[in-house]
Amino acid sequence: MSNDVAIEVRELTKRYGELVAVNGISFTVNRGEIFAFLGPNGAGKTTTVEILECLRKPTSGKAYVLGFDIGKEQREIKKRTGVLPQDFYTYERLTVKETIQYYAGMFDAHPDVDELISLVDLEDKKDVLFRNLSGGLKQRLGIAVALVNDPELVFLDEPSSGLDPKARHGVWHLIDGLHKKGRTVFLTTHYMEEAEILADRVGIIHNGRIVALDSPESLISEHGTRNLLILKKTSPKAVLNIEKLGIKAKYDGTTGDVTVHLNHAVAVSEILHALSSTDVPFGELQLKRSSLEDVFLNLTGVSLGEEESGI
Amino acid sequence: MSHVVIDLKASLKSFWRDKSTIFWTLAFPCVLILLFGAIFSQSSMRYDLYVQNQDLADGKATYWSNNFMTILNSTNAFNIQMVGATINATDYALANRLISLLVIPSGFNTSANTALDTHGATTANITFVYDQSTSSALIVQSIVMSIVNNLNFELSNGVEYLRVQGLTIAPERFGFIDFFIPGVIGMTAMTTSIFTSVSISARYKQNGIFHKLATTPLKRHEWILSRTIYNVLISYLGMAVMMLMGIAIFGMKMTLDAVSLLMVAMASLMFTGLGMIIARFVKDPDGADAAANVITFPMMFLSGTFFQLSQMPQFLQTIARVLPLTYVSEGLRAAMIFGQTQQAIINTALITVLGIASIVVGSLITKWEED
Repeated sequence: MSNDVAIEVRELTKRYGELVAVNGISFTVNRGEIFAFLGPNGAGKTTTVEILECLRKPTSGKAYVLGFDIGKEQREIKKRTGVLPQDFYTYERLTVKETIQYYAGMFDAHPDVDELISLVDLEDKKDVLFRNLSGGLKQRLGIAVALVNDPELVFLDEPSSGLDPKARHGVWHLIDGLHKKGRTVFLTTHYMEEAEILADRVGIIHNGRIVALDSPESLISEHGTRNLLILKKTSPKAVLNIEKLGIKAKYDGTTGDVTVHLNHAVAVSEILHALSSTDVPFGELQLKRSSLEDVFLNLTGVSLGEEESGI
Repeated sequence: MSHVVIDLKASLKSFWRDKSTIFWTLAFPCVLILLFGAIFSQSSMRYDLYVQNQDLADGKATYWSNNFMTILNSTNAFNIQMVGATINATDYALANRLISLLVIPSGFNTSANTALDTHGATTANITFVYDQSTSSALIVQSIVMSIVNNLNFELSNGVEYLRVQGLTIAPERFGFIDFFIPGVIGMTAMTTSIFTSVSISARYKQNGIFHKLATTPLKRHEWILSRTIYNVLISYLGMAVMMLMGIAIFGMKMTLDAVSLLMVAMASLMFTGLGMIIARFVKDPDGADAAANVITFPMMFLSGTFFQLSQMPQFLQTIARVLPLTYVSEGLRAAMIFGQTQQAIINTALITVLGIASIVVGSLITKWEED
């Protein structure tokens, strides 16, 4: 395993009786990157990440974390990694500061506690008991706790699950900050936006298998639908004008919308020019980017939000 | 070891901040002691009074002894039970677990006549053998005394002809509260340890604290050690508060020796392990709490915490004999109150064996993570 590789997974399988939670997956995570596992609940993300955290034993297969074997060198791995578990929870009656000190003690580490607190922006909450923190603040404390041992690799399992948009953006900002400081981040999420914004590379996981793995941009250009231009509340005349340019367009009689599939060769300005020169009215113009959501739908036949089973 | 200290500090800090736990651990047992202390010091029932009349002439009660018996009967305060004249009264009382026994000694008739003749220069004595540990014996004694005083008054305007001599069959300082407080100390060690252990083992699993701990280098045995020490410390704290209360409010004299300290620690160990075992089999935290209640509640009432075993029906006494808390309460009483060192050591040894077995089994089956 080269020095540039933080995690190497080979043919990893985890069965629970009949159920195959993780089905022979292989991948590598490079040092310094944010790697995201994207998939619906029950796809096998958490099982995989917990195997890598040495919390569960695989049924078969091998995995190395920071060069250490997950089957034999758990202590070495635990010392060097930080973990934010799904729905982070800790002692209700310890304050923010005491919680960080507690976990630092467990790692025999001596971090600058105040610096960690300010990193996650909890300075004015440092003497507040855990039980009195809101969901977003608990999660931010969880991230601070995951950093007490100054880990080379941080596992974040569904870091923004259940948070409101503002809190979610706060967490994303933090994760981006970790990345900038050169840490490797292994992220699991079922929010495509989270993966798309944060990750250098995304593994799309479905029914225990990785169905695609690449940078978000490459995944979208390879598996996504093309970008769409939608003209709201216009007339069928618009279709004729656009098709004169040699571009296909579709009119929806019930909504009165015209949809145009854009490919790289066509500039939006050309279409707009054609429409304005012939004075075709339209109510609204919408440009819809293809996203990882479409990639997931194309690859698995189901949308991210649809599969809600839990493992 | 430093992990143990850090975890212990965190637990104690949490304890101090958890007012409801403080109430159940410290205030509730004190309230129990005060309530029971008050209830058992007043009662309005008829009492069994065992009487031995040794003063017989030709197998019949003498004039004065018969007279005295008639007066006792006429008060309607007692169910009088006669005991054979030739039996050793103290042995009989102990063997039959009597709380009191009134002895009219041989020669009582003669002494009574002499007392009357000499206008109280000598007195006629009656012996009251009683177990001071039970409040009802004290009540019986006070009724007997008032009867005798009344009789004296009627006979001679208060000059003392008849005198009741007390003879206790338990150490002088032994009263109901002395019986009760060691029982409550044992009970509190049980409830504190079982409920802390159950609630931690089941709840930490559900809310994910075990999960997080499992990702740190903290070892499972370090954590179990810390939580066991915590339970022992809290049990000691309960013990200290209750002893202080017993001394300050009830003027008790209690011995705090190595045996009683060891007993409380081992009882705590035993119930900590038991809590871990319960939590392993009943995974839902509320279910685990219910299971802990099912175990602790009957044990509280059947193990002689509130009532002496001898006051319970035989089949309940048989059940009590298989409940570990019985041996904890008995051992603590033997060590702290009676000074029966041998009995205390035997019970403590038994609880030590059970405690170690229970904590070992509990530790082995407690998992932080499912497979």
